[in-house]
Amino acid sequence: MKRFAVLTFVVLLAAIFAFAQEDIPVKVTLTLMVAGDQNMADFFQYEIAPEFEKLHPNVKVKVVGTGPGDAGSQQIIQQLQLEKDSGKDKWAIDLVIIHETGAVWAIEKGLIRKYTDFLTAKRLAIRNTDEIALGFDVDGYVMPMFHSQTAIAFNPRYVKNPPKSYEELVQWVKEHPGKFGYNGIKQGMSGVSFVSGWLYWQSQNPEVIMNGPYDKKYEADWEGIFAQLKEFNKYVTITSGNAGTLDMLNRGEIWMGPVWVDMFYTWMREGRMDPNIRIVIPAPGMPGQPMHYAIPLKAANADYALKLIELVSSPRMQAKYIIERFNWYPAIGDDYVAPFLDEEVLDRLYKDVKQDDLLKYGKPMPLLQYKQDMLEAYERWVEK
Amino acid sequence: MQQKLRSNFTGFLFILPALAVLACLYVFPLLRAIWISFLDKSGNISLANYQKVFEFYLRDILYSVAISGLTVVTALVISVVIASYLRFKEWKFLDYMYRLPLFIPFLIVGHAMRIFLAPHGTMNSLLTRIFMVEELPGLSTSWVGLLWSFTWIMTPFATLIVLGAFKALDSSYVEAAQNLGASKLKIVFSILIPLSRSSIMVAMILTFVRTISSLTIPIMVGPNSPTVITVDMMFRVNYFNDWGVANGLGVVSYLIVMVLAIYYLRFMISERGGIKG
Repeated sequence: MKRFAVLTFVVLLAAIFAFAQEDIPVKVTLTLMVAGDQNMADFFQYEIAPEFEKLHPNVKVKVVGTGPGDAGSQQIIQQLQLEKDSGKDKWAIDLVIIHETGAVWAIEKGLIRKYTDFLTAKRLAIRNTDEIALGFDVDGYVMPMFHSQTAIAFNPRYVKNPPKSYEELVQWVKEHPGKFGYNGIKQGMSGVSFVSGWLYWQSQNPEVIMNGPYDKKYEADWEGIFAQLKEFNKYVTITSGNAGTLDMLNRGEIWMGPVWVDMFYTWMREGRMDPNIRIVIPAPGMPGQPMHYAIPLKAANADYALKLIELVSSPRMQAKYIIERFNWYPAIGDDYVAPFLDEEVLDRLYKDVKQDDLLKYGKPMPLLQYKQDMLEAYERWVEK
Repeated sequence: MQQKLRSNFTGFLFILPALAVLACLYVFPLLRAIWISFLDKSGNISLANYQKVFEFYLRDILYSVAISGLTVVTALVISVVIASYLRFKEWKFLDYMYRLPLFIPFLIVGHAMRIFLAPHGTMNSLLTRIFMVEELPGLSTSWVGLLWSFTWIMTPFATLIVLGAFKALDSSYVEAAQNLGASKLKIVFSILIPLSRSSIMVAMILTFVRTISSLTIPIMVGPNSPTVITVDMMFRVNYFNDWGVANGLGVVSYLIVMVLAIYYLRFMISERGGIKG
């Protein structure tokens, strides 16, 4: 009798599982760790997770946001390192979304695996960001999620002719002291981007700084370059953080300042930014950076992680979410995305900065070592 | 003998959990931080990190000490004023109000101050209208703004300690002085403050330590450069993945606090002939 009861119970249990999961009868919790501002975490939590769970009813997506800037990536790297140090066979993190710096660190420490040869979307990536990050070969390890760009925002009420180059900007700043603001280098990447652009403008070897090779001899002229930046800073308001620059622009305290384009448009759409403010990328250009998908070396659910990347990188999803909802530039070619978009949406994204400008003036971040030397140079020669 | 040993052992068992927590969460990380601060990038023992600390961050270290010191001074002055007032007069409103900042998280205070003190922020919008002027400089990105925010946060805590000490004093001293015709000001300076010296000292040291270890406020308020030690530590870790220099900076701030701790212990020993509560 007892045996019969046990048997019934087992059969019943099996039946429940079988009917509940008509597709694949395995429950999976897919854990994502996401660096970046709150909008990144929201993107996965509220937009992608429901879509993905609809497609794969046996999967539950769990999103952990780790905060903006390289700091967010840094946290993820630490978590992965802990998983590695624990010696476990299956790591509890299935998919990470990190900055370029984070991707380089992760590869150097052996924390992520090659996977993009299984990824169809990789065929659609037209910029070389999926192959090179900060001068490092990342081919195979990463797929960009989107491209982001910095630009100079200006308030047309006060600035009739926005500067078209760094040279003109310097001129303008001397005529309008205190009305240009940026956030230095310690509190957010828009300031770092502005300084990188300054370096590209002044350096004898901007191509080397972007693409390598790394050699101190290319930094010989830096002291003079940063001395000029120090002089420039005398006419400038230093803001607190990426959001600090946007706030001050919005309140009219500064008339110009470097911003992340996606943040800028998102603030505008949410009504937190004066809708008259425009953006421009001055010559010779300012850096942007992609965010990257990477799969941890021993991710327990690497298969579903790959499926999720495939989903989010598809032209339909890129159009609907990456461009329309979040104002990022797509990770894949514009031509692939355009059929899924209203003309008006594309126009909004490319209103001020045209696609040609982007190709001409959208620069990569400096090579990692140059970037770190640049930050120290700024501390040494500008802040002191 | 056996009995004594056993009771000692039982006593030890009782404090073991606390000791274990202290060892795991405080002593071990402290030793590890000191150790890492002496390792260079390739893992050799060297002073390279400290060289960098002093090359890049000496000014920031001095700035942190100065800001923390100033915060201690302003917070103490205000707290002594409030405590003296409340020692003589019952005023329920003030009694509640001065505690209010204790219950507001640092992050909120930082954000509020950043908006309140901005050039076109709440305070200036009001002042420009009152004084009918066009523009006023904002305090949110100057050291005054940082000092302002720190003072706002640290004062209630200091006041709690000072007021506690004032109230704990035997009122016969105060009454005797009053009978002899001493003014209230005189009583504060010649009786209340001297007799509460050790509590004021505690308030000073706690305020200093809490200020110098704060990260949230200086990120949101105050100048970008010079900046405080904690922001530099975060910068080294986030932008360079450089734990060596970050820990070096940490060790420097330990040392600064240690100086105070030693001074405090000495003071207590000479004051009371021993360390007591």
